[in-house]
Amino acid sequence: MRKLLFEMNGAKAVAEMHDDIVPNTCDAIWDILPVDGMSIHANWASREIMLHLQGDKVLRLPAEGHNYRGTIAPGDIVYFWRSPQMSRGKQLAYSSEFQRELSEFAIFYGEPSGGGLAANDPSRDHDASLQVVTLFATFIDLPAEFVEQCESVRHQGLQHLTVSRYET
Amino acid sequence: MTDIKIQLGRAEAIAKLDTAGAPVTTEWLLGQLPFSDQAIHSMENGREVYSILDAIDTPPPENQSIYQAVGDLFVYHKPAIFVDPEWPRHTRNYLVVGFIYERDSAIRGISGPLAANIVGTITDGLTELAHEAPRMRREGMGQLSIERL
Repeated sequence: MRKLLFEMNGAKAVAEMHDDIVPNTCDAIWDILPVDGMSIHANWASREIMLHLQGDKVLRLPAEGHNYRGTIAPGDIVYFWRSPQMSRGKQLAYSSEFQRELSEFAIFYGEPSGGGLAANDPSRDHDASLQVVTLFATFIDLPAEFVEQCESVRHQGLQHLTVSRYET
Repeated sequence: MTDIKIQLGRAEAIAKLDTAGAPVTTEWLLGQLPFSDQAIHSMENGREVYSILDAIDTPPPENQSIYQAVGDLFVYHKPAIFVDPEWPRHTRNYLVVGFIYERDSAIRGISGPLAANIVGTITDGLTELAHEAPRMRREGMGQLSIERL
């Protein structure tokens, strides 16, 4: 399985891609790496940071693999795409381009993950023309230092995050 | 009605306390003022900003709702897991005061909706709060201060 390296303020974590389950999604993501940008903390899905994909890194991928809606586990890394006009509210914390269409990595770094309004959205669930949620990787090495950096996004604002190929 | 001033970072707002609907909570909250502490943005409830109250006595359930509305000012016990990265050994929840600044928000516990004492309504400055809170999400959270007018 291919691996991904996540780096934030010197802290690192490693994830393994689910090549066997969602090969097309993994290929598409692998092809755009490295990706870096400013990560923002979730306000519905609990301990999740998001890295919005922008410019030539934007991905619009079809649904693949299992229906992902439902259980989310700490360590999950999800490809998330949401069609235009499906945002909740004004999304003023996002850059203007993401207030419309959203293409991102959703990185669940601790407990609790997901749930609440983030998990119960019948108007968007089960319609891949409106929203795609694909679990494509899971952390296999998630040190406390990286978790602390993710938590700091919540309190200190956007933090620089890089996702790259991890090849030894 | 009793007015209070809410200051979130650079934004100021006015709220009217519901002395008729929540007399005990209103009186209790006034006893905590002036108040100033670190503002925290919700990670589970949507567009909620809150601070932890360091109070020995706590208000009883009063004027509660699980259908919080934009502009509601409330007091409730928030599960500690939504505040601290790890379960504190002897703390299962924190008493918080907070408000909702935009719709698509709902206070919840670990497994479902959570009732909050609705103690007042923001009547002026809500738009300012609704811009300041997202700015803080991007640039870092500042102080939340509340004082009686």
